[in-house]
Amino acid sequence: MRAMWEFFFGVGWFATLLSYITITTAILISGSLIMMLLTWIERRGLAYMQDRKGPNRVGPFGLLQPVAEAIKTITKEDITPTEADRWVHFLAPVVILASTVAAFAVIPWGNLIPVDINVGVLYIVAISAVHTVGILMAGWASNNKFALLGGMRGVAQAISYEIPQVISLVAIVMLVGSMSVVDVIQHQMDPYGNILSWHIFTPVGLLAFVVFWIASLAEGERPPFDNPEAESELVAGYMTEYGGMKFAVLFLANYLTNFAICAVTAGVFLGGGNGPGSDIPILGTLLSVIYFLAKSLGLFFVMVWIRGVVPRLRTDELMHFAWKFLLPLALVNIFSTSLWIAITRWGAEQGMGVAEALGEPGSIARLAVAWLVTGVINVVAFFVVARINATRGITTYQATPTAV
Amino acid sequence: MRSIVTAMPLEAILTVAAGLFCIGLFGALSRRNIVGILMGVELMLNAVNINMIAFWRYLEPANTSGLIFAIIAITVAAAEAAVGLAMVIAVYRTRLTINADEVDTLRG
Amino acid sequence: MDFIIGLIFWGLSALILFSGLMVVIVKNIIHAALWLIASFAGVAAFYFLLEAPYIGVVQILVYTGAISILMLFAIMLTRQVTGEGTRQLFKRWWVALVVAVALFGGVMLPAIWAPQLPVTERGQPNYWPQADRAAPPGGGNTASGGNAGGTGAEPQPEAEAPQIAGALEIGQSFMREYLLPFEVSSLLLLVALIGAVVIAYEERTRRRRILTLAEEAELRRSVTGLGVERPVHASAQLPPGKSDAGTAERG
Repeated sequence: MRAMWEFFFGVGWFATLLSYITITTAILISGSLIMMLLTWIERRGLAYMQDRKGPNRVGPFGLLQPVAEAIKTITKEDITPTEADRWVHFLAPVVILASTVAAFAVIPWGNLIPVDINVGVLYIVAISAVHTVGILMAGWASNNKFALLGGMRGVAQAISYEIPQVISLVAIVMLVGSMSVVDVIQHQMDPYGNILSWHIFTPVGLLAFVVFWIASLAEGERPPFDNPEAESELVAGYMTEYGGMKFAVLFLANYLTNFAICAVTAGVFLGGGNGPGSDIPILGTLLSVIYFLAKSLGLFFVMVWIRGVVPRLRTDELMHFAWKFLLPLALVNIFSTSLWIAITRWGAEQGMGVAEALGEPGSIARLAVAWLVTGVINVVAFFVVARINATRGITTYQATPTAV
Repeated sequence: MRSIVTAMPLEAILTVAAGLFCIGLFGALSRRNIVGILMGVELMLNAVNINMIAFWRYLEPANTSGLIFAIIAITVAAAEAAVGLAMVIAVYRTRLTINADEVDTLRG
Repeated sequence: MDFIIGLIFWGLSALILFSGLMVVIVKNIIHAALWLIASFAGVAAFYFLLEAPYIGVVQILVYTGAISILMLFAIMLTRQVTGEGTRQLFKRWWVALVVAVALFGGVMLPAIWAPQLPVTERGQPNYWPQADRAAPPGGGNTASGGNAGGTGAEPQPEAEAPQIAGALEIGQSFMREYLLPFEVSSLLLLVALIGAVVIAYEERTRRRRILTLAEEAELRRSVTGLGVERPVHASAQLPPGKSDAGTAERG
C-alpha cells in the first residue's frame, strides 16, 4: 500500500504532471478568453475605421457579444457533407488547433514561461508549420472545389512565407547567441529600463521585425494575405464546408494563431514583459504580464488596422512578394547582423583589430559605427530591392494566353 | 537523473527502428505508385535516423557526431524528396501515369 | 519515472509502427500520406524523448512541415487514380513481404539467440570497453532494473547528468570539424533545388490546357496503351464525385 502511495504521490513525476496539467489548462482558458477579446477588438476596431458602430448590444460596449456567438455556434447542427472524407474532415480542425496550441508551450507571458526549451524560437516556427497539413486536409476532405482551392492557396502561401520568417529570426538568434525564448528576452533587458535595448530599435532588428511581421501576417492568413479564405472569390476557402462547432474550432485556431504571432513578435522584438519595474521580485511579474499583454494587444490592433486599410493581394503578387522582396531583404539582414556583431563585440583575437581603435567592445563609438554601417546597408538594400521589384517584378506581371 | 537511458534498453529502440525500416522496405518494394515508393524510402530513412540518435544518446551523448549524421541524413532526404517528386511530375507529364510498372520505356 | 518513460516509449513506438504500417497497406494514397505525417510526428516525439530536441524540431520542420506537404502536392498535381478500385500493389507484392519479414527476422535472430552479444547490459553506456568513459547515468539502477515502480522507495545514488550535446555544440562542430560535410550538404541542397526546378519546369508556351478527365483518359489510352482495360476513376486527387475541381491546380 505504501509502495502504491509512493508510486503515485511520493515521487516527483506526479507533481510534475499535475503542474503541467494546471499550466496547460490555464493557457487554454486564457487563450479562449483572449480569443473572445480579440474578436471584439477586431470588430469594434474595424467598425470604428469604417464609420459604423459594431456590436454594442450584448453587455457593456458589446463585450459579451463573443459569448453569445459561442452559444450560437455550439447549439448549431454539426454537418458533414455526404461525399466528404469523414475522418479527414473531422481531423482537420483538430490538427489545426493542436498545432496552434502547441506553439503556446514556449511563448512567454511576461516573466512567466510554461517550458523553456533551448530551441524555443525554432520550435515555434516548426510547430506552427504543421497547421499547413491541417489546412490541406480540410481543403481536400471537404470535397468542394472552393475548399480545395483555398487549401492549396493556404499551403503554398504558408510554405513560401515560412522561409523569410525563419531567416529573419536567424538574425535575432545570431545577436542573442541562443534559441531559447527566455534568453532572447533577457538579451533585451536593460538594467536602467531603457527601451532602446529592444531589438526593434536597432537597424538589424528593425528590418528583421518588418520581414517577420509581414511573413507572420501571411502565415496567420491575416488580411491583406487572406487569399486562402478570400470571401469574394472562394466563399470561405478551406472552411467552406465546416459548420457549427468545427467552424468554431477553426475560428478559435485562427485567432489563437494571430495572438501567438503578436506574442512572439512582442517577445522577440519588443522585449516581452520588459518595462519599468518588471524586475521587482513579485510585483514585477504581474507588471511584466501587463506589459506583455499591452504589447501583444497593441500589435493585434496593428493587425486590425492593416486589415482596415490595405486591400487583398492577388495570389501571384503574394508569391512574388515573398520570394522577390522579403527573402532578399532577410538575407541581406543576416549579412548586416554579422557586421553588427563584428563591429560591436569582436576584438583583435577574432580578427577585428580595426575595431579596437574605436574603443572597448560595447562602447558608444563602436555602437555608433555599427548603427551607421548596418543602417546604410539595410536602407540601401530596401530601396534597391524595392526598385528592382517595381521595374520588373510584381506589377508588370501579365498572363500570356496558354496554348491548347 | 532519470531519462530514457535508465528506462529502456538500447535494443528496444533498435527493434522499433528495425521494424520501421522493414515496413518502409515493404512499402518501397510493393507499391505501384511512385509517390508511394518515395514514402517507403522516407520511412526507411527515418528508421536509420532513429538508430543514429539512439546510438548517440546511449553511447556518446557528449559527442555531436550522431547528431551531425542525423542532420545530414535529413538534408539528403529533403533533397531526395524534392528531386524525386519533380521527377514524378515530369514522368506524369509525358506518360500520364505514375505507376512504376507502366513507366517501362527503358526495358530492353 | 522509469515506468512513465517506458509507457511513453511504448506508446510512441506503437504510433510509429502502426502508422508506418498504414502507410504501406492503405489503398488511398492521400490517406497513406496522412499516415506518413503521423509517423513523422511520432519520430519527432521520439527524438524529444531521446533528448535531442534540436533534431526533433528539425524533423517537424523538414518532414512534417515540408516533405509531407510536398508529397501531398505531388499526389494532387499528378491526377492519378487513387480510388479503391485500382490495384495499389505490384502483382508479386508477396515477394516484397517475404524480403521485408526475412530482413527483420535476420536482424532480430542474433539478438534473440545470442544474448551474450555486447548489447545487453541495461542502462550501461559501456557497450564497448573504453577506460576513460564517464560513469553511467543512474548507475545504481541496474540492480533493480526489473522493479520499475520502486523508484522513489530507496535512495539511489543519482549520478550527475551526462553531458548531452545540444544546439550550441552542433553549431560549433558544424563550424569546426564538420565544416566540409556542412558545405557539401549545402551544395547538395543547391543542386537539388536547381535540379527539381529544371526537371519539373514546363515552359509557358508549351503548357497544355488543363484537360478534363475524359480527355485525359483518352490521351492516356493513346500514350500508354494501358488504359483500355482499366476503368477510369473520377477520383484522381479528390474523393469520388467531383471531376473538375482538379483544374484549379495550375490556375
